[in-house]
Amino acid sequence: MSQADNLAALGSNVNASGVLQPASGGTGVTTSTGTGSVVLSSGATLTNATINGAVASGFTLKNRIINGDMVISQRGTSFSSLGSQTYTLDRWVCDRFGGAATATVTQSSTAPTGFINSLLYTVGTGAATGATDYSNARQYIEGLNVADLGWGTASAKTVTLSFWVRSSVTGTYGVAFTNNGYDRNYIASYTISSANTWEQKTITIAGDTSGTWLTTNGTGIRVIWDLGVGSTYSGAAGSWGSTYAIFGLTGGVKLTVTSGATFYVTGVQLEQGSQATSFEWIPYGLEFDLCRRYCEVYSNPNLNYDQDGFPQAIQAVDVGGRGETLITYYPKRASPTITTLNNNLFWQNMANTGSTCTFAGTYVGTGIIAAPVFLTVSGACAVGALSGVGSLIFTNVANKIIISAEL
Amino acid sequence: MNYKLCPIVKNNTEPKAVNRFNDDGSVSSIPFDPANTDYQQYLKWLEEGNTPEPADE
Repeated sequence: MSQADNLAALGSNVNASGVLQPASGGTGVTTSTGTGSVVLSSGATLTNATINGAVASGFTLKNRIINGDMVISQRGTSFSSLGSQTYTLDRWVCDRFGGAATATVTQSSTAPTGFINSLLYTVGTGAATGATDYSNARQYIEGLNVADLGWGTASAKTVTLSFWVRSSVTGTYGVAFTNNGYDRNYIASYTISSANTWEQKTITIAGDTSGTWLTTNGTGIRVIWDLGVGSTYSGAAGSWGSTYAIFGLTGGVKLTVTSGATFYVTGVQLEQGSQATSFEWIPYGLEFDLCRRYCEVYSNPNLNYDQDGFPQAIQAVDVGGRGETLITYYPKRASPTITTLNNNLFWQNMANTGSTCTFAGTYVGTGIIAAPVFLTVSGACAVGALSGVGSLIFTNVANKIIISAEL
Repeated sequence: MNYKLCPIVKNNTEPKAVNRFNDDGSVSSIPFDPANTDYQQYLKWLEEGNTPEPADE
């Protein structure tokens, strides 16, 4: 009889003190055939333990999804008339491409216990999904943030995706994992059992040992929720494939078919290992900073005041020539795109000689930090008003400057 | 949607960015950075045979 058999023969309780020690040369103690849990009593501690492949004490920043709890939304809280690649809540892109269906996205305050926000995808007019139509919600994860997973190598690590979801349409949905080149893909399925009820879903997939998965500042992993992906871009669930551009589930629910259908998602977490652990709460400010690597929005609510008491959102420094340099707060993933909306801004210089001017962002250098961003004047502006050091003033809530280095 | 090259500005000898005029009336200035996804889309637009408007003098 082995030692293990001896232990089993002791019955349901084993009382011991000292050290539970693997045999010399052994690899550890496992529950190789059991399916139950190992439960620690209240107050018990794990020391130097690893759980789910990670050191227990190192469980911070385990979530590869940024803004998985949907609390950051710099661009606004409602996004109408979705098109292809519409940036919505921070780090979340939504599509409504092809066909006659319409959809909107909202940062919703409807959320399951423990959360305060969700991403709400609402179908306006439903319509059949054409073969090349696609509607989805997705996040592209930067390669630098998944480099340790080793995808594309023999040592690719298993990951687990967990999220809370609520939909007015029940059935089996798809969620896809693809690489930057769209030539590696895995479609997973999950089932929403009850309409308009929050349910948590967990999906574990083995890491891909093939293909090219970027570990740079490009797209590492795409995670795409199928809300209406056509047959051209859909495939079967449950295995890695190399067919180009497959990111929907064949036979899955296509939400955009149904007028007025709603789909909420929040608490999204992608982590290494085969178990879904609790959602990682991180301070709001830290999450905001993580988002700012990809986007910063300057708008009226950001107003503060300069030394002359004038409201200002951005400190601009005259560099001569035709424009002003815009200082950004946070280094970007890549040289950012500067988008100006309703861009009649008021330039107030230190001599209190001001003028309303039309500004457009122009990127004039290379690099990811602040200085090269350049605001040029494209409208009439009082001569001399732009001289010296001054401030840009947003004159109404529609004024925005979006600095984006999204994937 | 249309593209127009940005003017050459101080200390540069050639345009470093292109402006995209969006359907909603906004204007996006896109740097010539291969890692910028808007620039990647601009390159595809060029591959389709399109040409941006020249920069203002």
